[in-house]
Amino acid sequence: MEKEELKKAIYKLIEESAGKKKYKQQDVIKHFRQQGLADAQIKEAIRELIDAGDLIYTYFGGSYIELGEKRQGS
Amino acid sequence: MTKKYDTPLLDELEKGPFPSFVTEMKKAAAKSEMAADELGLLEKSFRDKVTYWKHGGIVGVRGYGGGVIGRYSQLADQFPGVAHFHTVRVNQPSGLFYTSETMRFFCDLWDRYGSGLTNFHGSTGDIILLGTVTENLEPLATVLSMNGFDLGGSGSAMRTPSCCVGPARCEWSMIDTLDITYDLTQEFQDELHRPQFPYKFKIKTVGCPVDCNASIARADLSIIGTWKGPIAIDQDKVKDFAKKGVNIQEEIVNFCPGKCITWDGNNLAINNSDCLHCMHCIAKLPGALKPTPPFGAVMLIGAKAPFVIGATLSWVIVPFMEMKPPYEEIKTLIRNMWDWWNEYGKNRERIGELIIRRGMREFLEVCGLEPTPEMVREPRNDPFWFWKEEDLEKKPWEEFLK
Ligand code: HEM
Ligand code: HEM
Ligand code: SF4
Ligand code: SF4
Repeated sequence: MEKEELKKAIYKLIEESAGKKKYKQQDVIKHFRQQGLADAQIKEAIRELIDAGDLIYTYFGGSYIELGEKRQGS
Repeated sequence: MTKKYDTPLLDELEKGPFPSFVTEMKKAAAKSEMAADELGLLEKSFRDKVTYWKHGGIVGVRGYGGGVIGRYSQLADQFPGVAHFHTVRVNQPSGLFYTSETMRFFCDLWDRYGSGLTNFHGSTGDIILLGTVTENLEPLATVLSMNGFDLGGSGSAMRTPSCCVGPARCEWSMIDTLDITYDLTQEFQDELHRPQFPYKFKIKTVGCPVDCNASIARADLSIIGTWKGPIAIDQDKVKDFAKKGVNIQEEIVNFCPGKCITWDGNNLAINNSDCLHCMHCIAKLPGALKPTPPFGAVMLIGAKAPFVIGATLSWVIVPFMEMKPPYEEIKTLIRNMWDWWNEYGKNRERIGELIIRRGMREFLEVCGLEPTPEMVREPRNDPFWFWKEEDLEKKPWEEFLK
């Protein structure tokens, strides 16, 4: 999978699970690992999404990855 | 600003001979609305026995998963100055060394962007800047970064590594705690700022077993300086201590956990092969006894305060490791244990708890460590030696039957 494609897929996963299931970084890695992707590749895609502010780390007893727009209005 | 609130309960804490945080907060309150309202809120909390702080929320700096701990007051109407009161963790310099210029920088910075209240240092080791609002976070992070500082760790991440003053000020330091801490901090920036673990992970490095940072009780990974050579003895200095009233038999010999010291009133002898490297005799007779090289570190794993099974001290996993830059051996070890913990750890499960759940044997295997007698933590505890099928196929006993 191309990096941009992977980034879209990760974003979609987080978007679709919003309000239903919270993903930790390792959960995202495990999810895409099943599709034959290397951990490092998935990590890099997450990093770019975070750096761009599309996704953010949140904290509720543990650290999760959620949609970037949640940070506004906090 | 005139005094905003009466604080009879807090005033009690100004009495007595010790420095008082209340006095300091009052000074800050004279200049800052935030500090003034914090004082008022705290007095109310003391009176009502309720904290009135809301935890969590989503605050932070772009690209960072930690470093800022969101706090909001439940009584924002009554105390508007503390409606937001976020805490910022800043990665401290190794060994906590500052120039006065740096201290002034932090004071000015926090008068400008926060409440003016700081805590040098939090129990994590970080510089703690108390009380700011969400809008100030981005500019604050930029100013910190321009001045060579960065946010510390929070959440399910590697926390800011910390260490004792080490070789900078202490004759006993057997490893360069400052360099190790700096090096590991740089190496694991990603793990520090991007929370990717099941839970927090703390690394604390101390120069000797006196353990001024309490790393054995507070770190998931404790790195403790130790020695392999014999303990050097200056008999004249030992006798000086005896003359000055140190009861060598009572205070040194009888307290030696290795039971390896003898003292005949004139001569002190140590059977080094039974020494447990606890540092007791050396620390009690400074200058008279000294550890000798080779120097290195012992690694321990898994300390935690309120554990499922109660408070836990960390557990030896490497009895001796040379600590020379670039510290590749320890870095590889850390990566291996993280991979395992990430794979199997449940949410909010510390690595020590995972070891209890899945077994020390598996942990040693993934770390590539051979079981050794030093790992036996208490009598009658398992030494983690198990034969696997393929080991037996090699018929290891034949070696011994020859
Ligand atoms: C086929 C016969 C035997 C088997 C399979 C056997 C097996 C075992 C096992 C599995 C343990 C536990 C080891 C541990 O995990 O710490 C043990 C401990 C022990 N056994 Fe046996 N045993 C046998 C015969 C005997 C006999 C005949 C004696 C005494 C006359 C004996 C005395 C002990 C003692 C004292 C311990 C405790 C040792 C310690 O914990 O320090 N065993 N045995
Ligand atoms: C009044 C008589 C005795 C008393 C008060 C006594 C007491 C004890 C105690 C307190 C322990 C330690 C238990 C532990 O580790 O939690 C022990 C262990 C042991 N005792 Fe005795 N004992 C007595 C008689 C005997 C006799 C007659 C034998 C053997 C013929 C014996 C064999 C052992 C063995 C093998 C163990 C180790 C068991 C193990 O921990 O695996 N004891 N005993
Ligand atoms: S832990 Fe040891 S080396 Fe470090 S400051 Fe304390 S006594 Fe010195
Ligand atoms: S360091 Fe500890 S175990 Fe070793 S000789 Fe001194 S007191 Fe005994």
